[in-house]
Amino acid sequence: MSGLPPTTSVKRWFVTTNHKDVGILYTITALFFLLFGGVMALLIRLQLWDPTSQILSGLAYNEAVTAHGLIMVFWFLSPFAFGFANYFVPLQIGADDLAFPRLNALSYWLYLGSGVLLAISFFQGGTLSAGWTIYAPLNVPMYTPSIGSTGAVLALAMFVTGTTASTVNFLTSIHHSRAEGMGIMDMPMFTWSMLATVWMMLFAFAALLAVGLLLAADRVLGSVYFSATEGGSLLWGHLFWFFGHPEVYIVFFPALGVMLELFQTFSGRRLVGRKWVIISICLIAVQSFLVWMHHMFLTTINLEIKTLMMATTIGISLPFDLVVFALIYTLIKGRIQFTTPFLFAFGALLLFILGGITGVFLGAIVLDYEFRGTYWVVAHFHYVMFGGATALFGGAYYWFPKITGKMYDEFLGKLHFVVFFLGFNAVYFSMFLGWETPRRVFEYNPEFQIYHQFGTIGAFVLGLSFFIMFYNFAKSYVSGEPAGDNPWDYSRTAEWAVSSPPPLENWSNRPSYASGKLEFVKDFVPDGGPAMKTDDDGDVATDGGDSHSAHISKYPYWDEHPSHASIWPFALAVSLGVTLFGFSGFAEAVTVVLGETAMQSDINISNALYPIAIVAGIVGLLYTGVKWGLEDFYAPPSEFAERWPFNGVEKVKLGMWFFLASDVIVFGAFISAAVFIRYNAGWMTWEPLTESLPGLINTFVLITSSFTVILALVAARRKSRQGLLATLGTTILLGFTFMTIKLWEWNHEIFDRGVTIAANAHGDPIQASIYYVTTGLHGIHVLLGLVIAIFLFVRVYQGHYLDDERPIEYFGLYWHFVDIVWVFIFPLFYLF
Amino acid sequence: MINPVILQQGSDWRAQAEVFDEIFFVFLALGTLVGTIVVSYTLWNVYKYRDDGNRSDEKFDAPTVGELPTGQGGPKAKKLFLSFGLSAIVVISLVVYAYGLLLYVEDGPSVQEEGDIQIMVEGYQYGWAYEYPNGHTERGELVVPADQRVDLNITSRDVWHNFGSSDLRIKSDAIPGDYSETWFAVSSEDVEAQGGEATYAVQCFELCGPGHSQMKSQITVLPQDEWEEWYAGTGNSSASAGNSSNIGAAGVAAPGGVSA
Repeated sequence: MSGLPPTTSVKRWFVTTNHKDVGILYTITALFFLLFGGVMALLIRLQLWDPTSQILSGLAYNEAVTAHGLIMVFWFLSPFAFGFANYFVPLQIGADDLAFPRLNALSYWLYLGSGVLLAISFFQGGTLSAGWTIYAPLNVPMYTPSIGSTGAVLALAMFVTGTTASTVNFLTSIHHSRAEGMGIMDMPMFTWSMLATVWMMLFAFAALLAVGLLLAADRVLGSVYFSATEGGSLLWGHLFWFFGHPEVYIVFFPALGVMLELFQTFSGRRLVGRKWVIISICLIAVQSFLVWMHHMFLTTINLEIKTLMMATTIGISLPFDLVVFALIYTLIKGRIQFTTPFLFAFGALLLFILGGITGVFLGAIVLDYEFRGTYWVVAHFHYVMFGGATALFGGAYYWFPKITGKMYDEFLGKLHFVVFFLGFNAVYFSMFLGWETPRRVFEYNPEFQIYHQFGTIGAFVLGLSFFIMFYNFAKSYVSGEPAGDNPWDYSRTAEWAVSSPPPLENWSNRPSYASGKLEFVKDFVPDGGPAMKTDDDGDVATDGGDSHSAHISKYPYWDEHPSHASIWPFALAVSLGVTLFGFSGFAEAVTVVLGETAMQSDINISNALYPIAIVAGIVGLLYTGVKWGLEDFYAPPSEFAERWPFNGVEKVKLGMWFFLASDVIVFGAFISAAVFIRYNAGWMTWEPLTESLPGLINTFVLITSSFTVILALVAARRKSRQGLLATLGTTILLGFTFMTIKLWEWNHEIFDRGVTIAANAHGDPIQASIYYVTTGLHGIHVLLGLVIAIFLFVRVYQGHYLDDERPIEYFGLYWHFVDIVWVFIFPLFYLF
Repeated sequence: MINPVILQQGSDWRAQAEVFDEIFFVFLALGTLVGTIVVSYTLWNVYKYRDDGNRSDEKFDAPTVGELPTGQGGPKAKKLFLSFGLSAIVVISLVVYAYGLLLYVEDGPSVQEEGDIQIMVEGYQYGWAYEYPNGHTERGELVVPADQRVDLNITSRDVWHNFGSSDLRIKSDAIPGDYSETWFAVSSEDVEAQGGEATYAVQCFELCGPGHSQMKSQITVLPQDEWEEWYAGTGNSSASAGNSSNIGAAGVAAPGGVSA
């Protein structure tokens, strides 16, 4: 079947692009990181056993605290949830796979690769020690000088890259591949929660990517964003929490989705006020971007803003109230079955109620002033985030029979729950009791020792409880009872309508809800043509508007089988990992001594390993990128699907738009950073660093290249190979012209005017940093565009794209976007 | 901006600790009450509607695999909105109440007759430097008079710290390049109760590096006259300061009792 080896073959797990395989990989990897982060947690708890004696040094303790937070939040909670999302969202919406299977595999490999980079960072002179919030300026090399600190920051950036790919994939899948008859309000609650999650992720993780790139620039290239006293610290606070607050819901929502499913399945009752629960979830997703400054109440933000943030914070608790009551009332008059999954979901609700109530305390600013930086906060967010994740373990038991075809051991499952629940409350409730202890401090007031010792015992109980689960799953996988297709009495969603485990392509016939319930329909497939649905009059129906039907007739590979295997996602992730590994030691290994001109400058390399890794990685990225582009990989769009609100938009184009939306936030964050710092420095005290003429010329060059891209599309539609080559070629030439002028400008700034990324002979150094980093990010986008354009040019020369001009069109979208960004950058850096 | 809640108290001023303790008590009482009601109600219903195999199949509309999801409406939906409304009222009134007290905490009590004293606090890895209006810099401890409002202007020399005293319930971020403010006041009764010299522990509440745990200091409150004596002795020398760094012009609202 399309070259995908059997599940017993190791090779399969490196090449698979199937959503179920990738889901399993995510889940198992996330559980590994649970252990990794758990060991860090136990180290912290051991250090807290005695307020005077220590087992770790101050630095090592900070590394443990930082790694624990980063691993649990990024490498465990979200990926664990995304394991289930990968496996079950396509099943729940009646799709064959996610929209972009290779991209999905890439997301996973980037996730694993970033985790490997993080693990390596421990051996690069110690990992990051600035806390998971990575506050500035503790995060700059002056205060956290180890190579491993840079490695951890780059690992985070790599993780976020994978996350962005995954976000685009899920958004496109859910908005593009729902089975016929499944309107957006008809989606199962788990899928609904995931949809809200990925919408938040699209914007929140883009902000994190931006702030991570800025920090990477500070650490690798020597810019001075976060050490700048012109608001550098607050800039980090704002950008980080703009991501950080939505992140809380990003990790909680998948768990909420599991709770909503399990409460229904194990009570036999349907969700109370379903429509209002969905509206609440959407409201929370939007509001989550309007509360971030409540993490900064003790900074210098003014009373008006604090008041506003307090109001929005309290506002966001109200939809949660509704969701919680809906969950409780759903159970009433049900037939509640106390299975292991239900116990975990129900336990999660109780823990979340406690987390929610203690959160209202934090919403009152006077209380927040005192709780800030104490164990009250630590206890609260563990009850919310880990309390929520409790439901995810319920999800693991709930779906275990579907994934493996075997039933788990009910007794061991319940035992796990009891030990888990007791351990959980022992650790985190004791934190409420000893809340006056400052966070991340191990020499604390001996008055609170009893609570911390109690918590330490609880932590070990909690940790051990997971081994009951691992044993249960391992034993049941080997010798469990066959579970059958649907082991639950009151399950409703489509994953229970297929075999356990489901077949590779999920359905033998097309799932459809057109009649109001799930049916499998056999479509008429003309010999050697695409499937067609006939309506009552016998006419061929089209349900998606022009581009969709046009797509079916134009797609040149329609007679092929869908592909399920590709090695390039793995190879691409390895290449990126090697590149970033190289960059982690770049600042240490390579020093540039500036001379009078570029020719007279020296590059001193003290450790060749890192520069070699950079070069090898980039070569690998180019090679695997080209191979990816050339691979004949067929992932057909669902032919009949519900697509509201993106009915007329073709699959890849929709994905492109989602990607560009996240890129808007990345650039938005960079430009906001420039404006914020300049405002703090005194807006009028800065003059443009550069002459405006080169920038003006470049503006014309880029705008002209936008026109030539449009002409290229016209030529492609007219099937004119000559025209296409000429217009694409002109675009490439214009792009190179832009880059040449840019290079001249930078050369002029550095060698004639003494303005480098870290030094400015004419004003604040931060102004120079902002100029180089912001225009540099844009330059990288242009460069990436040129690589793609050259690829397309060669392919056109070989005779491609004349039947199917969509790649030209999508490249054009990207290119226009990069040009529009320049229109914002130009006045900010060249005119005012 | 004085709000009605304060006026009702009748006293001259309230320490932040008092305000905090009051709000904390109210929140804790209501939070426990609401939490207990909700959790007990939930547990009771879960027990009541457990599947014991004895329920009749009549009227039980079990969901089936593949149905398009619908919600439950009817009386439960009404109950949902009723509970939602109630919880909204509780939460909103709690916050409005707490907001009144926030306005007090933000402004602090009006300046006493003696005038207030402004101190520049500068955090560094790993300690605190206190600069007095007369330019004297003290490290290790902040010595202030009783019965007088003390205004702190807090900043940092290197990384982000957080100046806080759990005993006094005060806290403020110390951010490089930025100045945050907070205030406190200790009554002479409290000083006497502690034997003529009250001390309060100060700690850093934001991770600031390997020495974060040891970044401790204290606030010492002396009776007015003793403090004045102490302060007069600091005028010329910065002996205890090690090296006296000029933190910057401290905003001084001439402490009346001192100028003599």
